Amino acid sequence: MKHFFFIAAVLFSIHSFSQNPVPANEQTKKILLLNGTAHLGNGTIIENAAIGFEKGNLTLVGDARVIRINPAAWDTIIKLEGKHIYPGLIALNTVIGLSEIEAVRATRDYSEVGSINPSSRSIIAYNTDSKITYTVRSNGILMAQVVPQGGLISGTSSVVELDAWNWEDAAYKTDIGIHLHWPQMEVRRSRRAPPDEDQQKRSEKDLQILNKLFEEARAYSAEKNPENTNRHLESMRGLFDGSKKLFIHAHSIRQIQAAVAFAKKHGVQMVLVGGNDAWMAASLLRENNIPVVLNRVHSLPPRPDADIQLPYKLPAMLRDSGVTFCLSNEGFWQVRNLPYQAGTAAAWGLNREEALQAVTLTPSKILGIEKTVGTLEEGKDATLIVSDGDLLEMMHSKISLAFIRGKQIDLDNVHEQLYRKYVKKYGLD
Amino acid sequence: MRHLLTFFFTVLITVKTALPQQTTFPFNGIRDDRNLTYAFKNARLFQDYQTVIDSAVLLIKEGKVIAAGKNIIIPDGTVVFDLKGMYIYPSFIDLFSGYGLSSERKPVDKRGPQFESTLKGAYGWNQAVHPETDAARLFDIDEKKAMQLQQAGFGLVLTHQQDGIARGTGALVSTALVRDNKAIVKDSAAAFLSYDKGSSTQEYPGSLMGAHALLRQTYLDAQWYAAGGKEKEFNLSLDAWNRISKFPVVFDARDKYEALMASRLANEYNQRYLIKTGGDEYQRLDEIAKTKMPLIVPLNFPEAYDVTDPYDALNVSLRELKHWETAPANPFFIAQANIPFALTTHGLKDPKEFLPALRKAVKYGLSKADALKALTETPASFMGIENIAGALKPGMRADFFIATDDIFKDDAIITEHWTQGERNIHQTVPPADLRGTWSLKIQSFPDQKLTIKDKWHAPKATVREDTTDINATVSFKNEFINLRYESKAKKQIGTILLTATVTPATPDKLSGSALLPGGSTVIWSALRTETYRDTIKKDTTAKDSIYFGKILYPNSAYGFENLPAQEDVLFRNATVWTCEKEGILENTDVLISKGKITRIGKNLSVTGIVKIIDATGKHLSPGIIDEHSHIAVIGNVNECTHASSAEVRIGDVLNPEDMNIYRQLAGGVTSSHLLHGSCNPIGGQTQLIKLRWGKGQDELKFENWPGYIKFALGENVKQSNWGDLNTIRYPQTRMGVEQIYVQAFTRALEYERDWKKFNDLKKKNPKAAPPRKDLELETLLEIIRSKRFITCHSYVQSEINMLMKVAESFNFRVNTFTHILEGYKVADKMKKHGAAASSFADWWAYKYEVMEAIPHNGSILNKMGIVTAFNSDDAEMARRLNQEAAKGIKYGGMSREDALKLVTLNPAIMLRISDRTGSIKVGKDADVVLWDKEPLSVYARVLQTYVDGACYYDMQRDEQLRKDAEKERQRLISKMLNEKEKGGSNARKPPVTPEEHKHCMDDEDEHF
Repeated sequence: MKHFFFIAAVLFSIHSFSQNPVPANEQTKKILLLNGTAHLGNGTIIENAAIGFEKGNLTLVGDARVIRINPAAWDTIIKLEGKHIYPGLIALNTVIGLSEIEAVRATRDYSEVGSINPSSRSIIAYNTDSKITYTVRSNGILMAQVVPQGGLISGTSSVVELDAWNWEDAAYKTDIGIHLHWPQMEVRRSRRAPPDEDQQKRSEKDLQILNKLFEEARAYSAEKNPENTNRHLESMRGLFDGSKKLFIHAHSIRQIQAAVAFAKKHGVQMVLVGGNDAWMAASLLRENNIPVVLNRVHSLPPRPDADIQLPYKLPAMLRDSGVTFCLSNEGFWQVRNLPYQAGTAAAWGLNREEALQAVTLTPSKILGIEKTVGTLEEGKDATLIVSDGDLLEMMHSKISLAFIRGKQIDLDNVHEQLYRKYVKKYGLD
Repeated sequence: MRHLLTFFFTVLITVKTALPQQTTFPFNGIRDDRNLTYAFKNARLFQDYQTVIDSAVLLIKEGKVIAAGKNIIIPDGTVVFDLKGMYIYPSFIDLFSGYGLSSERKPVDKRGPQFESTLKGAYGWNQAVHPETDAARLFDIDEKKAMQLQQAGFGLVLTHQQDGIARGTGALVSTALVRDNKAIVKDSAAAFLSYDKGSSTQEYPGSLMGAHALLRQTYLDAQWYAAGGKEKEFNLSLDAWNRISKFPVVFDARDKYEALMASRLANEYNQRYLIKTGGDEYQRLDEIAKTKMPLIVPLNFPEAYDVTDPYDALNVSLRELKHWETAPANPFFIAQANIPFALTTHGLKDPKEFLPALRKAVKYGLSKADALKALTETPASFMGIENIAGALKPGMRADFFIATDDIFKDDAIITEHWTQGERNIHQTVPPADLRGTWSLKIQSFPDQKLTIKDKWHAPKATVREDTTDINATVSFKNEFINLRYESKAKKQIGTILLTATVTPATPDKLSGSALLPGGSTVIWSALRTETYRDTIKKDTTAKDSIYFGKILYPNSAYGFENLPAQEDVLFRNATVWTCEKEGILENTDVLISKGKITRIGKNLSVTGIVKIIDATGKHLSPGIIDEHSHIAVIGNVNECTHASSAEVRIGDVLNPEDMNIYRQLAGGVTSSHLLHGSCNPIGGQTQLIKLRWGKGQDELKFENWPGYIKFALGENVKQSNWGDLNTIRYPQTRMGVEQIYVQAFTRALEYERDWKKFNDLKKKNPKAAPPRKDLELETLLEIIRSKRFITCHSYVQSEINMLMKVAESFNFRVNTFTHILEGYKVADKMKKHGAAASSFADWWAYKYEVMEAIPHNGSILNKMGIVTAFNSDDAEMARRLNQEAAKGIKYGGMSREDALKLVTLNPAIMLRISDRTGSIKVGKDADVVLWDKEPLSVYARVLQTYVDGACYYDMQRDEQLRKDAEKERQRLISKMLNEKEKGGSNARKPPVTPEEHKHCMDDEDEHF
């Protein structure tokens, strides 16, 4: 039996500056996390938990006061009194790995030419060497859905683990969904907005394009070996055999209703992304089993007269009306604040475990990977994090350990490196 | 105005003594000057807005009124019009017209910025300032528009070229259809200003505050020019500005805030403007009244939206709904407040809409006398022509119109408009009142009964055939009456046409010819057997349909009917985050009174009327201060056009109605530092406000505050991310940025030196010409003299270091670096320099210069002893700056006390207001926030926010305000729906107007 007390600084000090950490090796040792408070992600809390895993899988999830533990059976036992264990957070609707410096065109890889791009696949552009990723995962986000942007159909998303040598390595589930950005249905007035009629025409035209595309894609998918292949239609096959979901990005109630009708008409499995007005369409969404990926809780109300805290309260409103929802934090570097979106939702009506579920279990269900991730349950991947305190609280969340499929990942990043550099310069330590 | 009057008298006398035929124009043919006298008798005459004479006589000759009143003898040789039943009004006067001037604008194909005016010639530097424009020189009668104006009642208009900021002079012209020379009553009747640069393609000004600053500087330039500047630079524009400065000035304000801004500008330069308003003055009536400036008010009442689709209804804000309902009462409110005002057709699509709009205003409470006054005597007196226009008294212009009825009645029609004594017919009316019952005889037909009824000037008729009444159409042309109906009588099925001449002398008899269906023509005649008796119709304009909701401050959702007042409040048993050396005090009482924190202690006993709040388990913190905000600003927050725009002031353009003020109160914010954007090295002057939601522009301002200015460094000022067209403005590198600063401060010192020299010289030579007063350089000088302080947008260490060195070389200090994301790299230098730091908690990666930004920045700076704050630069983030402060604990391990100071005491220190706010200390302003949990927690919610001891946000009241707003919305939406059913069938669907979400780089994109 070996007791191993993890000391973060030991690991950090071996790195040279401005290098991303080395991806971790496969789990070879059996690890047991003992006495921490485990938040399973499904609403359950185990105050004094024993969480064990080997070869990347959780083999033990239990109450340390109840089950008998044989220390000899574990290579490493990490005592976590006063600390909290959570499933690794799953960030939906991100451009992590597709964007490095927002203002520099050369570093943007998320928006292809043209408005119809179902064949664009985010996975092959996913940059494992992005410096951003390491600042995100050190806040507890271990998996992400990488989503192409722009146009009407921006492309096909994949799910990655945030520790990898290359995109093949990173890929957890590829080509899971096609992203449709619903046409604007209201005339907008602003300094640069086109004339009203142009906007209306544009919107109608977009809807025609989409309907035609889906009718033709369905017909095409019925033919196994078409005479001429079409890249776009090929990539859409999965929508009609149930292997891909259609993520429709829509915000206003009018858009949401139209999007739901569209998905039903074309017989595809829909996920609503955005959903500012989802609360108005609650019964429609519930009856059609359409889950909602909410954008930032930290948003301004969609209309001047709206409840000033509406975006904060929206998660609880959806829970109350029985709509499946999860939280997201669009963007790339911004994704590190995903836990605090959940925190704010908890301040305004969710309980804390529900808020956690909205960034762990529910995202895994929406992505169709709930059998292996999303909660701390025996048999699932050992993708989990340890925080010194409440993960959803800025002042207490400090991730000290993180494992992706049992691999202990290095939580260092460019920010920590620069911090140490200047702490040293000024002698602040 | 005094000498203007005398000027007009001279004109008047000249005209009177000169015979009309004595003009310069040669004549081809036999002259036909008639100079007859015309009399109009039996009409109801409005001699002026308040003097009504029944059965009056109006005598006119050669375009002038000779006599008006009762018992006037009509001389022989007079052309007499009997206007029994008709109404005569003096012509209306519109002081804000573009009549007879072209409003065409050439399309501009502009690629890249244009820094200089494209106008060729010795004009001023700014294309939007063209006081030399002279409407009289451009004026050309527009017959179609003239007829429209006459039909709407207007005989005189003050027309000007509605383009640009200094628009030059307007001309007072008649709507008569005469030679242009005769139509111009007075050239240069008034000068015109606005904030709208119009067709100018030049970059500057690129913001409302820039337009305001440009006007300020132009006043000064013109003074300088008059005092000797002319020797240095001949300038047609400044020359014209000075030349026209003696005329009344009309300022085109688009809304109530522009009106207030204009009045402040006027006061600064001892001017008195006539302010053309936007129609929403009722929303800030007290402030408008206080300006004492007369108004020219439009009747541009918003149309109802089509809200039949409830989703469309969602897109209409309560602000719009309320304005739609109340706007028609705006003239009424203005009259109630005793503000002198004229009315204008401006803002209406067509002059045709004027009379209906006027009648609506009267239905909404404006008295008829006030309405008439605002169209006659008031505009005439504004122009100093009340002795020649606006009434019908002997010697005045014979400008009047004849109406079929009281002009405020919905169906009253203007039949004729006499301009300068010339007749213009607009509507043919019957030569006599033919209403009544007639016995109709058509040859070879049996006798029939003809009934003529309804309005005498537009009657309706029926013919009884057997026992059925058949509708007949009646029309008049000259002396002829035409009747037409579809006969159903046997053998005569088809159209019957009757024509006859009407002889006023024998009004009970008609005879003429009839055209029968077969094509044969026969004779017909009719005799009146009974005269028409008017059945008195109920006044449908009863007041019961007029209702408008209460005016709120601001007039939108979450507005207050009564503003929150200062209260004496005891917070009992709170956890008090003092942000002072006392730290966090448990179970402590805090008393606030008369806007100040008066006592802090345990178990305080209080007497008198004190609201006691049980704060057990709750937390009291100082109000949050956001060092970097762009809310509550009207228009662009950037004056991007020049590398230095030190002359512009955010304080000129505050928007008290920005919903974000209220939303941020709900996040515990009590003060915000509103900054100019970051698109130029030397931005504009900033404004610190307190979030006094509901108060006016001036009352938002933080009192007795020294004044700051925004500077900026790096990519934004180099225009790095502005696209390929923006590579012309200097600077494009960090090297150039330094040079801009050194040059700016050097020039400021030279400016100071030149004024010193001049002041010395003046002692010897009182006539010495002064240097040009330059508001940009004066601002820069204030910085050097430490009277104004810099907050500088900054990212990378090199430029931060550079600015400190530049400042040191001019012997001043940079007060604050804002953003300062690489501050941690030069923290030692900043400490030495004495600069404060105001940072984001954790932003990075949005552009190249923030690639080494780290979230530990705040902690390092704080540890290094630098006054450090976290700011928002974002209306959303500002609502949860407490959460951002908590990140100071997460990254770098600050203490809880220090973390909260990042958004309270520290910004107060760097804004030089820590003696008044930023902590909970006896004697400071009662800017405090009550939280349900510890303020740094993500779970904490604001229960109440007090500013100066007045509770501007209360969670429970918020719920009530929301319910009230929802109720009011529902009421107004159903009212709008009713309106649509009543006939507003072409109502538009409401658009979505995205709320402005302003950032540093507002002008270009959303980078920070």
